[in-house]
Amino acid sequence: MTSLQRVTLVVLRTLIGWHFLYEGYTKLLQPAWGRAGAPVAPWSSAAYLKAATGPFADTFHALGSSSWIGTIDLAVAIALVAIGLSLILGVFTQTGCVGALGLLTLFYLSAIPMGLPEARSEGTYLLVNKNLIEAAAVLTLMTFRTGRIAGLDSLWVARRRTVPISSEMTA
Amino acid sequence: MNLTPEQMEQGRRNFLKALAGTPALAALGVSAALRGPVRGGPVRVGFIGVGSQGRSLLGNVDPSYADVRVLADINPNSLKAADAVLAKAGRPPAKHYADWREMLQKEDVEAVVMAPPLWAHADIAVGCLDAGKHVLCEKMMAWDVASCERMRAAARRNNKVLEIAYQRLSSPMYQAAYDGIFKTGALGDVFHVRLAWHRNGTWRRKGDPPAPDYNPSQWGYPDWDHLLNWRLYWKYSQGLMAELCSHQINAANWFLGSAPEAVIASGGLYRFPEGNRETYDHVYATFDYPGGRTATFSSIESNAFDDYYEMYMGTKATLILAREQDAMLFEEGSAANRSTTIEVAPRTSGPAAQSSETMSGNTRQGAAAATPAAGAPVTSDVSVRVQGSRIMIQRFCSAVRVGTPLSCGVDKAFDSARACIRANEAVKQKTRLTI
Repeated sequence: MTSLQRVTLVVLRTLIGWHFLYEGYTKLLQPAWGRAGAPVAPWSSAAYLKAATGPFADTFHALGSSSWIGTIDLAVAIALVAIGLSLILGVFTQTGCVGALGLLTLFYLSAIPMGLPEARSEGTYLLVNKNLIEAAAVLTLMTFRTGRIAGLDSLWVARRRTVPISSEMTA
Repeated sequence: MNLTPEQMEQGRRNFLKALAGTPALAALGVSAALRGPVRGGPVRVGFIGVGSQGRSLLGNVDPSYADVRVLADINPNSLKAADAVLAKAGRPPAKHYADWREMLQKEDVEAVVMAPPLWAHADIAVGCLDAGKHVLCEKMMAWDVASCERMRAAARRNNKVLEIAYQRLSSPMYQAAYDGIFKTGALGDVFHVRLAWHRNGTWRRKGDPPAPDYNPSQWGYPDWDHLLNWRLYWKYSQGLMAELCSHQINAANWFLGSAPEAVIASGGLYRFPEGNRETYDHVYATFDYPGGRTATFSSIESNAFDDYYEMYMGTKATLILAREQDAMLFEEGSAANRSTTIEVAPRTSGPAAQSSETMSGNTRQGAAAATPAAGAPVTSDVSVRVQGSRIMIQRFCSAVRVGTPLSCGVDKAFDSARACIRANEAVKQKTRLTI
């Protein structure tokens, strides 16, 4: 792989990581205020889940109405932050990618775009929307094992490699 | 200042036309947006003094900005009425205290909104600030200049927010008039501002004590009447100058970008000397500003034809901001078209919101004004007038939470309080006083 190819892959991973991290950070921060002086509107996944469409709509609706919605909210926020940190730092990158794929798949399945403009969406999509594209990008990162290119995972790999070599040398 | 309905309509159209060219209010700063949100819920607030004005503020609390948890008032009837305000707004009931000191000791509030009688402002505000609370204090700042100094020093000493409640400085209508008309120079040079607040009726309120044996003497009021009608006694009040003039002087100071340097004033207790009332029922004052600019203020309790307004008379045009809900602009020259005959314009709206100054029975216009004329847009007037108070409380909470600027702030409030206090002194001393 050329260095440009490696750099672009790591840039892609960092951007996706930031996307997840900030989303989770603002959710964990709640209740919160904007610096310009207005409270941030309170967030809960309940509204999103209750508005779910598609083949698993009933399951999502039930989750949205469940009594442990607060736990779901917290779990989603923590998962977003953990995945974000994983992708930005390149630590446990493959696991982070699996988590990202899982969440993006849920997001996609809860609202599969059917080709009509939607109030909650900034564009009009048929089957392919930004969630699906982001999931495909994460799959790419996973395939190329980008944690080994740059990130804390690479230190781990380097250590595993150097240990046998050095032991050979001493032997 | 009385205009025919046609003239008023033309003035409103002129105002809106002149505004049309001005850009929208500045969007939030990019740097503020880039720094991201900060953690924190609604500001935990306690109210001290929930008489008519305190309840007016209470009714304008936006629950996403402030969480009102506790109320303190020495009058149990006021606490009951405040509960009704909270219930009407769909808010949970708040805990009650008679003594604000006990409230501060026992309750975990971050900020206090206070609207007790004027003489109590300084002691309560300083007590709250020293207890580490942020304070939004009803206008006027304090009874005398030394008390204003004490409040300012306490806010600085404790590094807490101290705001004085002048809702005009948060009113979108005033902001539009300032940004779109005054600041652009559309009025030309303004040498004279006329401030008027005319009402027809006694300021004396009628009301039963909370219990037949209710005794407010432990709070400094010898009897129920002195508590109910504190505005009528010098010990507690600075009369019309504090309750009415300070609003308008504060707005004029903002527009003129300065504060008056001297005042001559006259007045007296002419119409309602009955009973033991002390504060004047007629006051007239002339305030000298830097640059040869002069504001006159009159408040009379014997005629409500003029109602209340601020009128900025410029070399190119006249701007009238009437009853906090009506803005009109008249260019010089077109004024020649104005009718010179006396024409009685029907009043289009009654008091838009309940507050200490405008409550019916408190004083105010005769019966004609109390009933809105058919078809008058009273509903929208209410929202225009009330918006200022709501925004003011929002900005106070934002200042507490994220340090954004206040609508008025201590220094401007200090300037207007000093001017009004000196105006009363000028009446008493029958002399011109520097401010």
